[in-house]
Amino acid sequence: MSAIAISSKYVGGRRDVKNIPAVIHPSVHPFSSDMFNSMSDTEEFRVLDLKQKKQTPFRRKFKKQDVMPPRTTMMPVDQDWGNVWPGPRTFHPAVVPLPVRQGYNEKDAPPGKFGNAELMKIPNFLHLTPPVVTSDYCHSSPDIRNPLARIVTIKVKLGRLPLNKHARDKILRLVGERYNPENDVLTIMTDRCPLRQQNLDYAHYLLTALFHESWKIEPWESEKSEADMEYYDWEASASRKSVMRLLSWSPDQDAVQISADFILSDLTEYKEAISKIMNEGEEEYTLNRYKEEVKKLLSLQDVSSTE
Amino acid sequence: MNPTIHLALRSQNRRQLNITLGIIKQYSSAKGQEVIIPKKIHRGPTDILKALASTVQPDLTAAHYKYHDDPYLIPVSNVQKRSFALSKESGRKAAQWIRAQNSELFQHKVSYPPVQVFYPRPVYDENSEVDEEVLKKVIDDVLVSDAIAVYQLLQNKGQSISESTKQSFLELLCFYNCEDTLPEDLIEERWFRHGGSHKDKQRKTWKDNGLAENVFRSLDHPGSPAYCTLLQGMTRFFQVDRAWRLYQETQARGILLTRDAFNSLIRVACYLHEGNEHRWQLIQELLTAMSKQNITPDTETLNAVLEAVSSMGPQKNVKTYALRALSEFKHVGVQPSLASFYFVLITFCKERGPVSSILVDIMDAIEGQTFNIQNPKDTFFFVTAMDICRNHLQDINLAHRVDKLLHVGNNYDLIGDSFKESIYYRHYFVLLCNMEPLEVFMEYYNKLVPHIYIPEPAVMEEVIKTVDMNGAAEYFPKLWSDMVIFDHTERANNVGALLGGMVRNEPQPSSDLSDKFTQIAWNAWEKLEVNANEEKYRQFRWTGQMLGDIMLLSLRGGKFSQALDVLNKLEKDQNSIVGVPSIEALQLFTDVCISQNKADEAIKCIRYTADAGFSETGMLAQQLSGSIELNTEQLTRLTSIVGQDVIQSPNITSVAESENNNQ
Repeated sequence: MSAIAISSKYVGGRRDVKNIPAVIHPSVHPFSSDMFNSMSDTEEFRVLDLKQKKQTPFRRKFKKQDVMPPRTTMMPVDQDWGNVWPGPRTFHPAVVPLPVRQGYNEKDAPPGKFGNAELMKIPNFLHLTPPVVTSDYCHSSPDIRNPLARIVTIKVKLGRLPLNKHARDKILRLVGERYNPENDVLTIMTDRCPLRQQNLDYAHYLLTALFHESWKIEPWESEKSEADMEYYDWEASASRKSVMRLLSWSPDQDAVQISADFILSDLTEYKEAISKIMNEGEEEYTLNRYKEEVKKLLSLQDVSSTE
Repeated sequence: MNPTIHLALRSQNRRQLNITLGIIKQYSSAKGQEVIIPKKIHRGPTDILKALASTVQPDLTAAHYKYHDDPYLIPVSNVQKRSFALSKESGRKAAQWIRAQNSELFQHKVSYPPVQVFYPRPVYDENSEVDEEVLKKVIDDVLVSDAIAVYQLLQNKGQSISESTKQSFLELLCFYNCEDTLPEDLIEERWFRHGGSHKDKQRKTWKDNGLAENVFRSLDHPGSPAYCTLLQGMTRFFQVDRAWRLYQETQARGILLTRDAFNSLIRVACYLHEGNEHRWQLIQELLTAMSKQNITPDTETLNAVLEAVSSMGPQKNVKTYALRALSEFKHVGVQPSLASFYFVLITFCKERGPVSSILVDIMDAIEGQTFNIQNPKDTFFFVTAMDICRNHLQDINLAHRVDKLLHVGNNYDLIGDSFKESIYYRHYFVLLCNMEPLEVFMEYYNKLVPHIYIPEPAVMEEVIKTVDMNGAAEYFPKLWSDMVIFDHTERANNVGALLGGMVRNEPQPSSDLSDKFTQIAWNAWEKLEVNANEEKYRQFRWTGQMLGDIMLLSLRGGKFSQALDVLNKLEKDQNSIVGVPSIEALQLFTDVCISQNKADEAIKCIRYTADAGFSETGMLAQQLSGSIELNTEQLTRLTSIVGQDVIQSPNITSVAESENNNQ
């Protein structure tokens, strides 16, 4: 019968008993007490101890509990993350299923997420993933309420709206500064209502009203005079009158009626030059063109070229 | 401009203005409509929190929020759940105890306005100054022992107490039977209290001639409230004889009783008489007396009647009584609560009785409704319903309906306590395991285990058997890891079933499942053999079948040394191992030995096979001698086992015969 090796802890906590090296033979019979067998199976004398050292209490050998793996291994891929991380929370590595690395080691890769104090210190926005964010208003403030959130801006490209010339002119007059001619965008900004939805509804209402109003022709619109015109119309202008008078001037009063076509055919370029100045503004190019056209009209020649 | 033109223009403008206004009114949409201002909705203090909470659905991988969210601190067994939650609460209790011990340190103002629970509770001993106001306050705070102490102090001082205070004191004593109850803020203790308190209640616990009766007698003119209170107290604690005498006294004296008093008497009708006819008659008498006093019955009356009927015994009439009660009360307009349905269920669906599908009718009636707690027995409904679905009716669709009802609104609050919850889920789980296809069942498994419900070992065994039957070998690793975590590895049945399942469902060689199986088998071996806790009284017994399975799995995974260890154990402890391994395992072992040219081990195996009494021993020996070159010593050993002629002759006769022949 081979002896049973026991650590000194089991023998009533007496540390003075020598550890007898022997083959482990686990007893199969459930009622056998290994402790008692060991006493009879020692092969050496026990040393008599007169000093009576303090007996350490019998301490249970601590059985290490089996621990579940972190939750991340059990999370389905299509779970709703908003339910797992509903609010701002310190980073928790066993809950976040991402292989995040943060920090610096001289020789190794950046440390992983477990036991990473840096990841815990920095703020994270795991509670603000896109599926959870319902508002498109961005602000930064300790308070979630912000009175500026009620402001709504609507941008429409006027080219997408079915407008004829009159309607386009009218709508541009109605909106005034809200129109950007560079990219043809009408911007309506509303903030008079307390809630965002209300402002949105109001902006839609304004757009609809503007559109329909621009198509209506009011009786007083017929009173539009040349001073109200938004573009320069050479055909109705004083410039045409004066040029025509000039070109059709003849020393005799009962004038030779030079054919209007002859006059007019030469005048298209002149017309374009003047219209360009008036409509597009005075620039070097437009002014030069005008100069050329006037010279052509009055049959003036370059001073330099005559020489 | 010309002034006349001005005037003309002005009047023209005014006319135009009027016309314009008229047009606006015609086209205005608010014409003729009044603006209705809605009534203000009064919000409670936590309504915002409830609204926020309703935006978040439950997270299935997380444990209950009361546990700390860390892999080491999440409980994974029922014992752990209980101990973690109770230890957290014991911390609170310790804090309260410290505050009570050092009450002189906690007299400062903590909050404004003052919150009563932040201050230490006053202790009433001989020296404290008490008067009737103090008694009233203590009664309001439901501190029974303190109230008794204060009352006795007042008595000793000879101070008089008003009748109304005495009445409220009497009510307190009768409701609690002069004992303290578990404080309401100890929620974990209440949750884990189990049915312990419920079991005692069936016997008489009323304190005869106790303080309650003294107080009653000390009243100058005990009127109807006092009699009713004492009646209800006595019936609540099952002192039915005295209660009945008290009732007769009230009838004699013409004292009117309240509805609650009548309800409490009806509830204990079964203890007052023997024989179901007498009992039913008594119930009817009480109901008539109630109606004579023009008291309309309510839900509690219905519950009392049904409770009495449910404890009547397995007679045929009992069911009719229950149905009659239900229909009559419905006629009067009384809504049944979940407790009524519970009593109906236990009346109809008895274990040894005919199968009753009354649960279907009940579910039809209450589907989709939300319930509040009206009677303590409401919490029994869901457990009983699921029990009936599983044992009585074996109906999975009905079980689904019950579960759906449980999750409507706040109905989950009516699951009761942790014990009932675990029983509910146990029934549901086993029913799902038996009735639903395996994929659906595994979905429920992943959803419920381990945070909501932890399967008991018996349930786990069912699951393993089902998985085995369906041949779904891929679930075995998960089941094993769960078994390890839940600490089911000491049960031989479970481990044996798992090992057998793994052997029977041999996975494809391409998948890594076979490696996992080998690992699992070896893990089981290590846990139960090598690392066995020597202190614990070991209940675990190896069976030969299990060891054979481990050997087989090890060999399939190519781990010869492990298989050898198993064989050694088999041989050594033959006398204590129940049963023998399958011949398949031993055959495979011999084959592997042959292929690896290990003759000694092969001979050991054959010797064991012979000892075990397998008839294939001879065949094995022949295989061995035929394939490997054996030296003389090995040959003699082999011959001694199986006999000379078995080795030499190609035809196998039975080993026993050959051995007999040799001897």
